[in-house]
Amino acid sequence: MRSIDLAFAGVSIGAIAALSGIGLLVTYRTNGVLNIAQGGIAALVAYVFRAMVVDWQLPLPVAALLSLAVVSPLIGIVLERFVFRPLARRRASAAESLVASLGVLVLTVGMTAGIWGLGSRNDAPSLFPERTVGLPGGSRIGVDALAELALVVAVCVTLGLITTRTRFGRQVRAVVDDRRLAELSAIPADRVAAAGWAVGTILAGFTGILLAPRLQLTPYGLTLLVLETFAVVVAARLASLPGAVLTALAIGILQSELSQFQVTGEFSALYLAVQSNLFVAALLVLLLVLPRLRELGGDAGSTGRFSSRGAPQTYRASLTEQRRDVLGKLAGAVLLAAPLTFAPINLRDAFIVPALALIFLSLVIVTGYSGQISLGVAGYAGLGALLSAKLADGDLFGLPALPALAAPLVGALLVAPVGLLTGYPAIRRRGLALALTTFAVGAVMSRFVFQQQTFVSGLHVAPLSVAGHTLSDRWFYVVELLCLGLGLLVVRNLHEGRLGRALLAVRDHPEGAAAVGVDVRNLKLLSFTVSAAVAGLGGALLMLSYASFDADAFSPLNSLLWFTAVVVFGADSAAGAVVAAGFIVTIDTLAPAGSATLAVGILALSLGWLPGGLASAVRHLVTRLGHRIVEDLTEPGRAGLAGTGAGAARAAAATSVSPAAYRQPAGDGGSPVLTPFGEALLARVRQVLHTSGRTQ
Amino acid sequence: MSRAELTGRGLARRYGGLTAVDNVDITVAPGKVTGLIGPNGAGKSTLFSLLTGVEKPDSGKVFLGGRNITRMHPDVRARHGLVQTFQVPSLFTSMTVMDNLLVGAENRRRDYIGGLLGRTPHGSTRTRRVMTRTLESLNLTGIADTTTGTLPTGALRLVELARALCTRPDVLLLDEPASGLDGQETERLSGLLRRVAGEGVGILLVDHDVELVFSVTDQVYAMVGGRIVAEGTPAAVREDPTVRAVYLAQGPLA
Ligand SMILES: Nc1ncnc2c1ncn2[C@@H]1O[C@H](COP(=O)(O)OP(=O)(O)OP(=O)(O)O)[C@@H](O)[C@H]1O
Ligand SMILES: [Mg+2]
Repeated sequence: MRSIDLAFAGVSIGAIAALSGIGLLVTYRTNGVLNIAQGGIAALVAYVFRAMVVDWQLPLPVAALLSLAVVSPLIGIVLERFVFRPLARRRASAAESLVASLGVLVLTVGMTAGIWGLGSRNDAPSLFPERTVGLPGGSRIGVDALAELALVVAVCVTLGLITTRTRFGRQVRAVVDDRRLAELSAIPADRVAAAGWAVGTILAGFTGILLAPRLQLTPYGLTLLVLETFAVVVAARLASLPGAVLTALAIGILQSELSQFQVTGEFSALYLAVQSNLFVAALLVLLLVLPRLRELGGDAGSTGRFSSRGAPQTYRASLTEQRRDVLGKLAGAVLLAAPLTFAPINLRDAFIVPALALIFLSLVIVTGYSGQISLGVAGYAGLGALLSAKLADGDLFGLPALPALAAPLVGALLVAPVGLLTGYPAIRRRGLALALTTFAVGAVMSRFVFQQQTFVSGLHVAPLSVAGHTLSDRWFYVVELLCLGLGLLVVRNLHEGRLGRALLAVRDHPEGAAAVGVDVRNLKLLSFTVSAAVAGLGGALLMLSYASFDADAFSPLNSLLWFTAVVVFGADSAAGAVVAAGFIVTIDTLAPAGSATLAVGILALSLGWLPGGLASAVRHLVTRLGHRIVEDLTEPGRAGLAGTGAGAARAAAATSVSPAAYRQPAGDGGSPVLTPFGEALLARVRQVLHTSGRTQ
Repeated sequence: MSRAELTGRGLARRYGGLTAVDNVDITVAPGKVTGLIGPNGAGKSTLFSLLTGVEKPDSGKVFLGGRNITRMHPDVRARHGLVQTFQVPSLFTSMTVMDNLLVGAENRRRDYIGGLLGRTPHGSTRTRRVMTRTLESLNLTGIADTTTGTLPTGALRLVELARALCTRPDVLLLDEPASGLDGQETERLSGLLRRVAGEGVGILLVDHDVELVFSVTDQVYAMVGGRIVAEGTPAAVREDPTVRAVYLAQGPLA
């Protein structure tokens, strides 16, 4: 009776997924927030539990009680009180809630990684004894599976009884119906919301603790696994509890049953991949085939939600603004070029900055400019990396090996059609459905391509070379900067000029844009396509920076982290994207693992409290720093570049032939006085910008 | 120049139990101003949505220049020359008036690759000329560089109209363009509509200012409860007993 045994084995994983699904549903129904952070919270609680049992030697029941009855609900209550209640109070958009829960996810993952490290552990204790019991008919079932199943039933029955039989239940239903109306009729909506969060995080805790012993425990791995159980709530359309439970059990059992068949030949790898990643596959398939996932709508990710700054500055910017702009760009360029003077070891760290900046730019295109959530960018980046490696190897569709320098570019171009293809389902979706679909696409790429031996085994990542000479580190960094420049150019053309206006129009008022002929659907496809190519280029550079193809570098979880970082630093700001990349890499190099993740999480949550978020402060700081550097470079009195003093410089500036606009006298609040060299340089830059701005 | 005629045949749209548009036949002739009047909730805006494709009809067809466009998306229809303004102005609020007009002017043709390479569309001087002229004719030149998010409703309507005009439409559907305008502005609007129609554009005008509708139109449809209850010249519709009854119930019909 192998099938029955397998079914019992599958029940276990199914029941865990069901618990996760119930948790998500309860939080969603009581708060209207799809708790993307579920995975992070689950991992955090699992690590706490493990630490209590293994490190502190607490008895198992005590540890279980502490982590599930104290730590877990506390997390939920704190989150409700300090993150989501303020958002609900000021009627924040669903998009903001989504970013907040992404922030929590990033924060919790960062905490776990920061405290316990990124290394894998296999000493996670099991909550239930690892024994099996016999059943009538001769089959055996694990005690854990029985206990988990009982737990699911108990949770369902309790929830059902509470909602139908108690006063509190009636209050819950009232709040679920209409929170504001409920509040008006003196129902303590906040308490209901907090209870919803507490139940959600307790169940997340169970999920984490129960899953942990089944795998090599890593913060990323466990988080991801829990995220994949989102398939369950998608199948339940975020509404039906029994639907979620049944789907979870069905997928669990099916996964287990599939393992008894041996498929040989061409499709064996695919079969194995499907079998071992059934939840991810189900997530994507469900999102693609379920018609009208209206419940997943909300206004999350509807156009324009992630943009803070509005229209690009066109030709009407005042001279002072232009001057600032030029200074800012110059400062950025100087900062980016600075690593060229670093020692080799530090230069290597800096490799990652332009690569990451390109990936972030791709998000600026699709999220900032086109107003669509994209939680799968790591997929495109990884694909770009993989394709460029194979192109350089001459290992792709029998194509001849490309010159190493061309491979990343061609690889990136090959990602574009994939972006186009995946863009099709995306343009028909909005809000959470779009968020989950893009996430699922990235997750499927990771599980079915990057982690498959068929595609990545024997992959050889050769350093870039020109005419047989391997590029030195410095020259590689220069190549990276050129690629980044290319990306910035594309982004600029998408932001300014006709396309930029059209995209902004769609973001501002989609119906109005359509009414005057703006091709909304194809514009969105275009931004998906271009964004995929830019991400692909970034991915290829990232791989070259690491000098190897690492599936973990393109983990779906990174998509979430990167998306959050981009939103935090201003989704529609190209400069923000570059700053974000610099920020993350700097912190990751200077501080222990997980710090950058932690920092991004904190910044994301600060969006809820501070207008514009902490990030705008950070951005400001970086701009100031940049200006200082420019000052140092341009004012000899400070840096001693030339023999003239500041006074002489000022005199020279006053008589130089540069445009009068730059001879701003004192009173312009501490703006630097430029040397003749600086003046000439600025004038030249301005001229170039000016003429290119004029051509539109 | 002969432009396209817009016709709706047997159009119907239901919302749950409510039939908002009920088997409506309507024709917007080129070079003519056609009026559509009716009390609140008559289904005028819904009919607009069916004609421009914002909503799909439950039954019926829409033709533009003899071509069946019932299954086209709104933006495709717009690129074919069928352009509307909305009852609630649909401006791009983070952009200036000028940029709003530019979006209208430059999206009849698509050129993505050119856009990505930073190339500007051809004939941009002509585009600029059209825009400047439109701004002048609506007396908007003074606010050309103002961000539309900061404008009052009356101005918003005019800007939306200007944006629609900049697309160089064949058929223009205007949903209450005069609401929020003062007398002088309404007068200018009425002159502009005549002039635009004189260039061969077909205009369908919905407005609660019946005086404006009757004075500026060549043909009027009256709609009540989703049905067309009267059609003909302004004078004929004004005298129609059903129309009189409906409007008398609401107030005097001038
Ligand atoms: N999306 C919708 N869902 C449900 N009912 C709708 C919808 N849109 C319109 N209706 C209903 O259809 C009817 C017609 O509405 P419509 O807006 O077309 O009227 P109207 O003639 O434009 O009125 P007004 O002069 O007030 O603008 C109304 O009863 C309205 O409530
Ligand atoms: Mg209306």
